[in-house]
Amino acid sequence: MSAATTAAPRPPAASADPERPQTRRRPRGSSFWRHRTLYLMALPGIAYFLVFKYAPMGGLVIAFQDYMPFLGIGGSPWVGFDHFVRLFTEDTFSMLLRNTLVISLLLLVFAFPVPIILALLLNELRGKYFKRSVQSVIYLPHFLSWVIVASIFYVLLSTDGGSINNLIVDAGGEPVPFLTDPDWLRPLYIGQEIWKGAGWGTIVYLAAMTAVDVQLYEAAQLDGAGRLRQSWHITLPAIRPTIIVMFILAIGDFLELGFEHMFLVMNSLNREVGEIFDTYVYTAGIQNGQLSYAAAVGLFKGLVGLLLVVMANRLAKRFGEEGVY
Amino acid sequence: MISRRNSAAVASATVLALTLAACGGGSGDGDGGDADGPVTWMAMLHTPTTPEKDGVIETALEEYTGTEFEMQWVPDASKEEKINAALASGTLADIVSLTQGDSTTVRTALTSGMFWDVEDYLAEFPNLSQIDPVTLDSARIDGELYGVPFQKIKARYGVVVRQDWLDNLGLEVPHTIEDLTKVAHAFAHDDPDGNGKDDTTGFYDREESFKVAFRSLTGYFGAGSQFEVTDDGQVVPSFTTDAYKEAMEWYRGVYEDGGVNQEFVTVQKQNQQDGIAQGKGGIVVTGLFEAKNYLALAESADPKTPMKWALVNDVTYEDVPRRILTDTGGGMGGWLAIPKSEVETEEELKKVLGFIDKLMDEEAFGLMTNGVEGTHYELDGDGVVTITDQTAWEQEVQPYSSSRPSEKIVTYKSTSPYVDEANELMAENEEFVITNPAQSLTSKTYDTRWSTIEQQVTDAYNQYITGAIEMSDFEATIESLRGQGLDQISEEFTAAYAEVNG
Repeated sequence: MSAATTAAPRPPAASADPERPQTRRRPRGSSFWRHRTLYLMALPGIAYFLVFKYAPMGGLVIAFQDYMPFLGIGGSPWVGFDHFVRLFTEDTFSMLLRNTLVISLLLLVFAFPVPIILALLLNELRGKYFKRSVQSVIYLPHFLSWVIVASIFYVLLSTDGGSINNLIVDAGGEPVPFLTDPDWLRPLYIGQEIWKGAGWGTIVYLAAMTAVDVQLYEAAQLDGAGRLRQSWHITLPAIRPTIIVMFILAIGDFLELGFEHMFLVMNSLNREVGEIFDTYVYTAGIQNGQLSYAAAVGLFKGLVGLLLVVMANRLAKRFGEEGVY
Repeated sequence: MISRRNSAAVASATVLALTLAACGGGSGDGDGGDADGPVTWMAMLHTPTTPEKDGVIETALEEYTGTEFEMQWVPDASKEEKINAALASGTLADIVSLTQGDSTTVRTALTSGMFWDVEDYLAEFPNLSQIDPVTLDSARIDGELYGVPFQKIKARYGVVVRQDWLDNLGLEVPHTIEDLTKVAHAFAHDDPDGNGKDDTTGFYDREESFKVAFRSLTGYFGAGSQFEVTDDGQVVPSFTTDAYKEAMEWYRGVYEDGGVNQEFVTVQKQNQQDGIAQGKGGIVVTGLFEAKNYLALAESADPKTPMKWALVNDVTYEDVPRRILTDTGGGMGGWLAIPKSEVETEEELKKVLGFIDKLMDEEAFGLMTNGVEGTHYELDGDGVVTITDQTAWEQEVQPYSSSRPSEKIVTYKSTSPYVDEANELMAENEEFVITNPAQSLTSKTYDTRWSTIEQQVTDAYNQYITGAIEMSDFEATIESLRGQGLDQISEEFTAAYAEVNG
C-alpha cells in the first residue's frame, strides 16, 4: 500500500485543479489518491491489525503440528488433523460443547437485553445529575477484574459465614450451597455477567439514542403518546440497527466465553455444568504443555464463531437490516 | 507452566542447538573455560535487588572456600524464560541452579547429556558424600544424577491442633487417626471456643485437599506419595490402592459428621489461613512450621487471642507403622548442574564440586544464612540467632540463602514460639519419610495426559467426600481413566522402574 503511494505520479498539491483535462481519464487509483490523507490517518490502525492481529494468525499452523518451543514452527513435525480428531473423539467433547452452547445461549437470552432495557430506562430520566450519577455507578463493576467479582460473590454466598446464607439461616431457612450446587452455577455465572457488564453495555445504546430526532417525540406527544409508547414506537426502532450490530457481534463471540470468569467460579462439584472450551484448553493444553492441542481447540472455536457471524449477518440482511459488513 | 518432561525430540533439539553453538564459534568456553578464572554460577534471585558485586558475603565466602566465584543472578520470577533460553542457546555458567524439578525443558536438558553426571565424584568430597540417599534417589532421572541436588527437609508435614480447644474440652493431644476423629467430632459439636455458638469445626481444609492435606493423611493409612511400587514391581498411582480408599471412606465419615469445613471445595489458601486465624477450625494438616504463621495472623487481629497449637508429627492408623509422605519431592529442590560446555575437564569439574562441597560446611552455611556476626546478626548464650540489621541482611545475605546447596546443615534456635519445636519435629520426620518412586522416572504419556487425569480424579474425590457420589462412582471414574492413559502411564513408569532397578 505504501508502495502505491510512492509509485503514484505526483500531481500538484491542490488536486482540485479547475481545468482538469477531460480526455485523460484518471487511473483507478485516483479515488485512493484523493483520499490519501484519510488513508494516512488509517495507516496506524491498519498497521496495528496487520502486526498484532493478522501476522500472529500464521502461528495457527501449530494446530496441525506437534509443536515444540525448541524446534519452532519450522522444525516441529506435521501431524495433520490429529489434534482435531483427538478433540472430537475426546469423551468430554459433548459435555464441553453442551456447556459452552447452553451458557452462551443463556447469555444471549438473559444478559444481552439487559443493557438495552437499562439504557431505555436511563434515557427516560430527566434529572441530569441523577442520571449522570446513576450511570457512573452502574459503569463501575466493569472496571473490577473477575478475580474481585468472584471474591465478592464468594464472601456473599459462602455457606461458611457468607452474608446471604447468614440471612437465610437467620430467617429460619437452610443454607443454600450457591457455590457448589451444579444447579446454581449457571444462574450465578449469568448473574455475575449481568452485574459486571450491563452498565457498561448501555453506553453504546445511550449514544444511539442521542441521535434520535427530538421532533419525533414532540410529534408523538401531540398525538397523545405516553412515555411507554414513545419508547416503544420511537426510541426502540431508532436504535434497532445498533441492537442488530451488537447482536451479530455477540453471536461472533458465541463460543468465546473467556477463561477467567468460569475458571474462578468453577470447582470440582459444579464442573460437570461449568467446564467450557476455554477452561478445558487450560487444563488439557496449557498445563500439560500441549500448545498444539490448545491451538487446535482455539481454532475450532474461532471457525464456529466466524460461521455464526456470517450466518447472523445474512439473516439480518434478509430482514432488510444493515448488518456489520 | 509446561509440565514436566515432554519428549525426546526436545532433548535432541537441545543437543542439536548445542552442537551448532559449539561449531559456530564455541560459545561454550566462557569464563570458566580456563581453570584459573572465577567459577561462574547462574543462580535464582528471590529478592528485589542483587547483592553488590564482591560484596561482604561474596568476599567472605571466597575467603572461606578459597575459590573465586562470580554470581549471575536470574530473577526468580523470570527464571522459566531465562533458563529455557540459556539451555536452548547453551550460554551457561560453570554452575547452573535448576530449581524447577518438574519442568519439561529442564528435565530434557538434563537427560540430553549436556551436564556432567556427578554420581561417581561425590564420594571424594566430605560433604557431598554425605548427601541423604533418599534425596539422591529423588534427584536421579532414570537412574542418572545430572547435578548436585539442592537438599531440603524431606517431610515438613504433620497435623496441628488447637491446644487451647483441647484444654477447654479436657481432651488429650491426638496421635492416632481414631483420636483425631474424636477430636474433630468434639471440635465440631462441643463448642471448643466456649462462645455458645455452633461456629467451629474440626479439620479446616481447602480446595487443594486432594493434593495437599488429604494426600498427607492417606500416608498414615499406608498409601504412597502419588505413586507407589507394588510387591510385583508395578508402579501404580496411589489413589487406586485400598489404603487410599480406606482413607477416603474415613475422611468422608468425618465430613458427614461435620468435622471438616463443609465448603472446603471453594476455599482458597488465603481463605483457609483467615478462617483458621478466626478460629473457625481447630485441626489443620499442613507444614508444621505453619503454626507460627497462624498464631501471628490471629495475633494481628486480636493481640489477646487464646490460640495455642499442638504440633503432631506421629499420627498413626491401626497397625500401619509410622510414616509420612514427602511434601518436598523427597527433599530435592532442584539441581546444581555443571555443564560440560563450560567445565570441560574432570579436573575443573572437581574444582567446582569442591567449591559446592565447601559451601556445605557449617561456616559457609552460616554466612549464607545469617551473614557476618556483629554486622548482620548476634548470637546469644543459648545459640539464638537474632538478625540485628534487617536491611543489610535483606540486601547482602538473603539473596544467597536460596542458593545454599543444603538447607539443613544447622538449625538455628529462634525466639518465636513453635519454630524450634517445628524444626525438631520435621527433623524427626526424616526417618519415616515416603517418597514418590515415579518422580525420578520418565513417562511420555504422563507428560501429555497427567494433568487432565489428575483433575478428573480430584473432582471425583471432592464429589465423594462431599457426598455427591459414592465409592462405586469414584471407582468407575478410575476405570474410565485407565483407558485414557492411566494404564499406559503405569506401564511406562513400571518399565522405567524395572530398567533402573534391574
